[in-house]
Amino acid sequence: MAHGLRLVAACLVGFVAPAAGPLPLLDPPPGKTFLAVLPHHDDHTHEYGFGGLIARLIDEGYRGYYVRVTNDEKDGSAGWGENDLVNERETQEAVRALGIEEVISLNWRNDHMDSIPHHDLRAQLILLLRRYRPDVVLSYDPWGHYDRNPDHRKVSRALADALALSGFANVHPEHLAAGWKLHRVPFVFYAQRFDYGKGHEPNVAVALTEKQVARKARAYWLHRNVRVHPESARALRAALDARGLRVPELEGLSDEEATIRIQEWRMYWISARHGRENGVPFAEVFYFVGEWDHLPGLKDYLRENVRPK
Amino acid sequence: MRGLCFSLLAAAVALAAAPRAAAQKTLLVITADQTDYVLAAGGAVAAMMAQGATGYLIRVTNDEKDSWDLAPEETARRARMESEEAARILGFREVISLGYRAGELGGVSPTELRDRLMFYIRLHRPEVLFIPNPYAHYVEVLDRFYAGQAAEEARRAAALENFQPPFAIAGLKPHLVPELYYYAQPVDPRRREPEGPATFVPQPKVVDITPMIERKLRAAKALRTANYSLAMRIRQRLEETGRRLPLLETVNEAAVEKLVEINVRKLGEIGAQGTRFKYAEEFHYAGPEYRIPKSYRD
Repeated sequence: MAHGLRLVAACLVGFVAPAAGPLPLLDPPPGKTFLAVLPHHDDHTHEYGFGGLIARLIDEGYRGYYVRVTNDEKDGSAGWGENDLVNERETQEAVRALGIEEVISLNWRNDHMDSIPHHDLRAQLILLLRRYRPDVVLSYDPWGHYDRNPDHRKVSRALADALALSGFANVHPEHLAAGWKLHRVPFVFYAQRFDYGKGHEPNVAVALTEKQVARKARAYWLHRNVRVHPESARALRAALDARGLRVPELEGLSDEEATIRIQEWRMYWISARHGRENGVPFAEVFYFVGEWDHLPGLKDYLRENVRPK
Repeated sequence: MRGLCFSLLAAAVALAAAPRAAAQKTLLVITADQTDYVLAAGGAVAAMMAQGATGYLIRVTNDEKDSWDLAPEETARRARMESEEAARILGFREVISLGYRAGELGGVSPTELRDRLMFYIRLHRPEVLFIPNPYAHYVEVLDRFYAGQAAEEARRAAALENFQPPFAIAGLKPHLVPELYYYAQPVDPRRREPEGPATFVPQPKVVDITPMIERKLRAAKALRTANYSLAMRIRQRLEETGRRLPLLETVNEAAVEKLVEINVRKLGEIGAQGTRFKYAEEFHYAGPEYRIPKSYRD
């Protein structure tokens, strides 16, 4: 395993920004429901976030929902319709590995998000926030820089707008007429790739157990359509053979099994790296927005003076 | 494009060489909503107007969403009256309400908004412009981001004759605003980090507002509908989670005003951190020398 970790680490040097120092360790905030609002089928588990946090939230009693905004038709080599079907099915399987029970697919066209009205998507998200009343929302950082994926930008900005407005009665009053109540989400975790400039800079670390990392690793490779390509392990082994090298942990495995093992190492390696940087065995890091952070002049006062009933 | 840059540079050099006294200055403040500029820049703009500057305020949206148990139309009506009262307290000569629906700027043409703001820049020809900082991260109200982007573009376009030729035909000649302040409430954890050299990147600037804190506070208190909305929203969140805030056991005028005072004073203290001031506001500032290389200035 250690050798494999080093191998993957070597592949990923330069992919992850250098650490700035230990971050405060954050326990999951109090609550019972979270919504992960992300553009794509596989955004819930990456090097840069969410899979471990989702597993931990579930372990601490949360119920989770995955809002998959696009239809993922471009992701994979099977053609638009087939990609849509396969990616949707694999999403169900992958998020169940983390403990999420329900996937809500909004089915906007993948990589055509810039052409849809911001307000249409925002209205859907406001309705979902009022329907599910999450205590925690997870998404891409709307203030991140250099994210070339337009779906990431579009969804995170529409979500940020929805988070700001879902608590106001004069925003989509028709929702209230149908029986939904206003809801302001108190806690938000944002993530983004670490090699995308300085826009996203994590402010908390969330410690993970090895079992949670294992679920995260499984959720990662369960997106077989885009992440399990046996030819990558075959090419790696051929390149090592040519240099007289071998990875003992991969011997006896089929190319598909070897690919899965390598993908798992990626998740273990990045989780261990964030753990090491923050004083725990495994961790993920996020930009966390707390309950009163939108009120910089009042948050200290509220923290000091709010009492139990 | 090089010619365009040179035109801007030449105008900027000319303006830098002939600064006007504060008493003669014209000040234009652009705000997305009624509360943002009061809380983030109210003290600084009040100080300039107290020294004799003539101030104009552009409210981009109608604030129709920010109320508790009021319809959008009534909210917008009250917000207009109250924002005009707040602006009067701070010393503005005029409030210009563009009337866009609050929360909906993301659906407004950026070019349309830019051109409307540019119109007023050319009409009033300010020496100082305050705009929402579109680069401030984690600002919750995205209207501020959209208004800030449009305002920044408007400042540039106002100086260039090939933007909106009908404006010039109607007598609104190009005008370069020499001083630009970007404002935002302090939610961005890296707001004081300089992002680059001063020649081309607006720099963090702290302005002492201690003499103006009471005036800023009175202006903030005048926004009664938004303040009540904030208090009720805090109380609602606490009630939903089995908590209470003694100050808001009864949400009356005195309790709301106390909440506003705590907010305004704390924001002033945050702005003053690391300075010798008691209360201050933080900006990113691009002055008359902005975009003029040192060799040209010398």
